[in-house]
Amino acid sequence: MQLEHSFTVPVPVETAWEILLDVPRVAPCMPGATLTEFDGDAFAGSVKVKLGPITLTYRGKGRFVERDEAAHRMVMEASGKDTRSAGTASATVTAMLKEDGDRTSVECITELNVTGRPAQFGRGMIADVGAKLIGQFADCLASTLGAGAEHEPAVARAGSPSVPAGEPAGGPAVAGATSAAAATATAADPAAAAARAARPVTEPTAEAEPIDVLKLGGGLDVTRRAGYALAALALAVIAWIVLRRLRR
Amino acid sequence: MIPAAFDYVRPATLDDALRALSEAGEDAKVLAGGQSLIPLLRLRLAAPTALVDLGRIDDLRGVHDDGDALVIGAMTTHATVLTDPLVARHAPLLAQATAKVADRQVRHLGTIGGSLAHADPAGDLPAVALALEATVELAGPNGRRTLPVSDFFVDYLTTAAAPDEVLTAVRVPKHDGWSSHYEKFSRVAQAWAMVGVAALVRRDNGSIAEARVALTNMGSTPVRASAVESALAGAAAQADSVAAAAEQAAEGTNPASDLAASAEYRAHLARVLTERAVSAALGSAP
Repeated sequence: MQLEHSFTVPVPVETAWEILLDVPRVAPCMPGATLTEFDGDAFAGSVKVKLGPITLTYRGKGRFVERDEAAHRMVMEASGKDTRSAGTASATVTAMLKEDGDRTSVECITELNVTGRPAQFGRGMIADVGAKLIGQFADCLASTLGAGAEHEPAVARAGSPSVPAGEPAGGPAVAGATSAAAATATAADPAAAAARAARPVTEPTAEAEPIDVLKLGGGLDVTRRAGYALAALALAVIAWIVLRRLRR
Repeated sequence: MIPAAFDYVRPATLDDALRALSEAGEDAKVLAGGQSLIPLLRLRLAAPTALVDLGRIDDLRGVHDDGDALVIGAMTTHATVLTDPLVARHAPLLAQATAKVADRQVRHLGTIGGSLAHADPAGDLPAVALALEATVELAGPNGRRTLPVSDFFVDYLTTAAAPDEVLTAVRVPKHDGWSSHYEKFSRVAQAWAMVGVAALVRRDNGSIAEARVALTNMGSTPVRASAVESALAGAAAQADSVAAAAEQAAEGTNPASDLAASAEYRAHLARVLTERAVSAALGSAP
């Protein structure tokens, strides 16, 4: 599933770039998220998603795959597994920042793959969940960056906004892992809708290459299975040798 | 799998139920017929800490005539609504749609209040309630309030009811003189609708005075096909005007693409089923 979302933040592109890469700083914007590790390149955490009676907690990790400062383009991969085994979610988020005078327009393209019960259950529930999450995140980011810029003196290019980064909260990548930004016209925050250029229709089928989940979680299963197969084979061989000895 | 552990309370009165809900906190859920909630619990997609079962509260059952509307208790089962003479006379659309809900066993346990409070846009009754312009009555620790159904459905599985509120009744205005039809399309019998259309029309000699069309599973909440309604108002009660109006059925909707159908197919279904539903409604006597 491929989803697109774009929004504008009222800070220059250099500032926006710096902040978006600073995961602990943007973390408070992702509701229900906890960041447990961050070493500049990779991070781990969990995101709790609630929709009516349904709660899903995806725990996983992600990393920045590409960071092109000159073109202001970043690619991030993340994947997570629901703690109650309701399935997995994995995503590759490509974010492109474009200068727009004193503002920055951010465009995110997410390749999302959801497995397990949320994918099977009734309507494409993750699409609704994701739209809400990304919408809230974008609004919060826009207002955080905007508020930060207001704290600066008149010259816009002064440093980064003063967002409290003390408490661990969440990673945009972990959010990307669980969310399917349907980017619908039904904005969570009507005030911020004006700041966002939301695309009206979800693009139903993914055309890009699928995420290699084996790297991050499935690989373990494969090796485990191979291990069991080898053990079974070894036992069979031993049994055969023993039986031969007994028969003699 | 089996659900995660929860506390279970079965109060005898509504006040006891409200008290139990507030005491249990935000992660408690009301249990009505359990036909939507229990499957979620069994899949462990939901894990409330407590369930407050309304099964013992008889006040919440029954269909009453209240002048210009019918008041249906939230715990009234689908089977009761199906066969109720008041519903058949004043709001037959409700009976027509309820007959298509799941299967017989589910209809004997599932309730109208539960169906609306669950707010699954793929459920048949939310769209019907929208078409009938019903209102819901909610009771909470701070008293009672009523909401039009159009304000009640907020998002997918999300309603405007607070976690400590209970939906006590649905108020359905009488629709004498209107004819109706509910058209449901699914791949497997007794499954959720891929798309469903609830149509109500009021005739005026050879033309349509007023029409109401609501769509099931064309968005994260049930939606009214307002473009179709405007196109039908005042139009001749003929096949070609119905077909022309039905072309606009998917306007303003946001259908999902999932394992059952793609968004484009759903939009197509909405158009086809709207035409069928409106034609059938026009063909049937009020």
